[in-house]
Amino acid sequence: MRAAVRALLLVAAVVMPLVLPTFLLTALTEMMILGLFAMSLDLLVGYTGLDSFGHAAVYGFGAYSAALLLLHTGVSLPVAILGGAVFTAAIAVPMAWLCTRATGVAFAMLTLAFAQLLYAVAYKWQSVTGGSDGLAGVPRTAGPLGMSWFTSRIGYYYLAAGCLIAAYVFCRGFVASAVGTTLLAIRDNERKAQALGYNPRAYKILVFVLSAFLGGLAGALYAPFAGFASPDLFFWMLSGQVLIMVVVGGAGTLGGPILGAAFFLALEHYLSVVTDSWALVLGLVFIAVVLFAPQGLWGMVRGRAVP
Amino acid sequence: MAAPYLECEGLSRHFGALAALDGVTMRVESGEIRALIGPNGAGKSTLFNVITGVLAPTAGVVRFKGERLSGLPPHEVCARGLSRTFQITALFSRLSALENVRLAAQARSAQRWRILPGGPATHQTLREGRQWLERLGLSALADTPAGLLSHGDQRLLEVAMALAQRPEVLLLDEPTQGLSVEETARTVDILRALLSGGGLTVLLVEHDMEVVFSLAQHITVLNRGRVIADGATEAVRQDPRVQEAYLGGLA
Amino acid sequence: MLFLISIGLTLIFGIMRIMNFAHGALYMLGAYAGFTVAAWTGSYWLALVLAPLSVAAIGIVLESVALRPLYRREHGAFLLVTFGLALVIGETIRLGWGPDPRRLPIPPALAGSVTILGAPFPTYRLFLAVTGAVVALALWQFLARTRLGLLIRATSQNAEMVHALGVDVQVVRAGVFGLGCGLAALGGVMATPLVSAHLGMGVNVVVDAFVIVIIGGMGSFGGSIVGSLLLGLVQTFGNFYLPDLALAAIYLAMIAVLVLRPRGLFGPEE
Repeated sequence: MRAAVRALLLVAAVVMPLVLPTFLLTALTEMMILGLFAMSLDLLVGYTGLDSFGHAAVYGFGAYSAALLLLHTGVSLPVAILGGAVFTAAIAVPMAWLCTRATGVAFAMLTLAFAQLLYAVAYKWQSVTGGSDGLAGVPRTAGPLGMSWFTSRIGYYYLAAGCLIAAYVFCRGFVASAVGTTLLAIRDNERKAQALGYNPRAYKILVFVLSAFLGGLAGALYAPFAGFASPDLFFWMLSGQVLIMVVVGGAGTLGGPILGAAFFLALEHYLSVVTDSWALVLGLVFIAVVLFAPQGLWGMVRGRAVP
Repeated sequence: MAAPYLECEGLSRHFGALAALDGVTMRVESGEIRALIGPNGAGKSTLFNVITGVLAPTAGVVRFKGERLSGLPPHEVCARGLSRTFQITALFSRLSALENVRLAAQARSAQRWRILPGGPATHQTLREGRQWLERLGLSALADTPAGLLSHGDQRLLEVAMALAQRPEVLLLDEPTQGLSVEETARTVDILRALLSGGGLTVLLVEHDMEVVFSLAQHITVLNRGRVIADGATEAVRQDPRVQEAYLGGLA
Repeated sequence: MLFLISIGLTLIFGIMRIMNFAHGALYMLGAYAGFTVAAWTGSYWLALVLAPLSVAAIGIVLESVALRPLYRREHGAFLLVTFGLALVIGETIRLGWGPDPRRLPIPPALAGSVTILGAPFPTYRLFLAVTGAVVALALWQFLARTRLGLLIRATSQNAEMVHALGVDVQVVRAGVFGLGCGLAALGGVMATPLVSAHLGMGVNVVVDAFVIVIIGGMGSFGGSIVGSLLLGLVQTFGNFYLPDLALAAIYLAMIAVLVLRPRGLFGPEE
């Protein structure tokens, strides 16, 4: 059953752009990017029990890195995107090392502080980041090897979808691996995991950096997609929104957060046409989910509880 | 080279002005089954916590095979060959019983750093997990989430996890606590069968004197953070100081 | 004014271990409510009293409805729900009052300036500072000296024991949360003549309040005072000498404190 659903979704993802009108394709591309972003956070929140309130940090950093690469160097689009992800993973190492010194609320506050710090830097460092206006006119440089197809709207969709699918496949394997199951143990009872001989901090740093790589990848996909990068990409509101996507979609399921991202975008695009207060609906749904259905939408659909 | 043994020398642990441990000196020989008894608050669990690295001593050292153990974090103490169970059951409640034991077995293998699934190492640890579940009589519960097991089965699962690590020293913190008479008997039988093979050094904290007398060869008695008696089971049983402080009219 | 907000946040975190993300939104609610009361009654002073009280009441309701089920669960849930509440409150304000900022004039009694140390100092800001100090003092004395205050502190340490003594812990918690909200709202009302009630004021303020609480010590009132002062100093001097770094500096400080001394400068030793 599960395999059939996945196959169906895969086919749909491949076929969609050929049947959809342009503006829907853009929305779908955005969903792929946000889905990747949300899924990367799920590794932290759903699988390791680390509530990060600053995940926008990696999104923004990936976006700015890719934007700067595309604006100031001649590298092609795929290289810039990969570069953005790699740079984000690199900066995540010291971040992870510092943040994992704390647990619980202190950890959440530390991640928030880092994100706000990057926000402040992006806001003020006019010469490099364009200050409050951000970086505009980010090009989709084709580069050699005839990769120009990716720069078109349809091509970009396939690029984003491809990244999401590849990341999903990797994450599926990762959470079932030795390291992945250890993360679940740490989530359940860190003290016991440590008593068994696992070093929890090392694992936390590992998953943090991995999550940063994927989140940075999402951000790096975003900058050329939207054509700009702004400090808002670091702001804690975005961190909160992606957390909402993960929780509403269903933490600890990988598929749930992607669903959550779709839900978020659907609310934003469709509900905002009908009523002015889509954010209110989102907030209420979010609170309701946390209170009454912590397994999220995906969990409800599959009848499985991930408390 | 001396056979592996565990040594506490002048071990003290203070919490503010309170001395939970006060100059505890204890030597456990290789292959020994040593019971640690004493009234509530005597410092038994604190001693376990200091030995396994959960707490650092405020004075004194713990040595294992001649090497200093005190001051190391818990995961490194475990890597040196000491496994423990906890007084308040500590399991991965959302994972299945089999997964719990498998994780315990996996912890000491280098394969635990694989980030891709499957592989021969996982099959190996799965096999070991099933074996241990069987030896402890828990095979039927392999796929049950650990949080849903009965109290007795949970405590047995913890023992299985500790054993799955193939430790050199096993520290059991009140393994029969909260168990019914029948469950206690079953646990003792299992433990006796497992320990009769030798090669395992055991430190056992227990309140149930019958369990102590049926399993332990040596007893160390703690009271208020100090060792008040230490020796072969029969000798300690007869010691008037111990009888007065702890055994009351039981011995 | 940031100080009043931090005091409320410290109260809620210190007693209930909840980092209230909605605190900024409640501050904003206080501002708008104050504006409305003043518009109806024409009196700033009435607004000063009624708005915080009504927001405190709302806070009590929120705690009972949205937060009570979470005490049994892990702490992460609180952060999530209060964030959701912040969103909901923010949106409700936008729908109820519209997107335009609402101005409240400084009451005539507090207009103008007084001379301090030979330089003119706005009377209203003085009023703010004095009120903040009075509130802090009153709260401190209340918690330290009165029976109710002792009860509240006991609840934060060991809720079960308090419950065993026959006290309804839920009432205490709801009350404390309401009090914290009321304090935030008070800050909001007092801020309105200066910055006018506008959307997004909650968002701007909440992270700063978090920074103060964390640097000062999560749960320590003295710490909040020191924290607010420090923040004010850093911002004022930073903006003057190194404007580019000022904004980043406070977050660096927050990180440094969390990493080196997670309990903050004056936090409780556990």
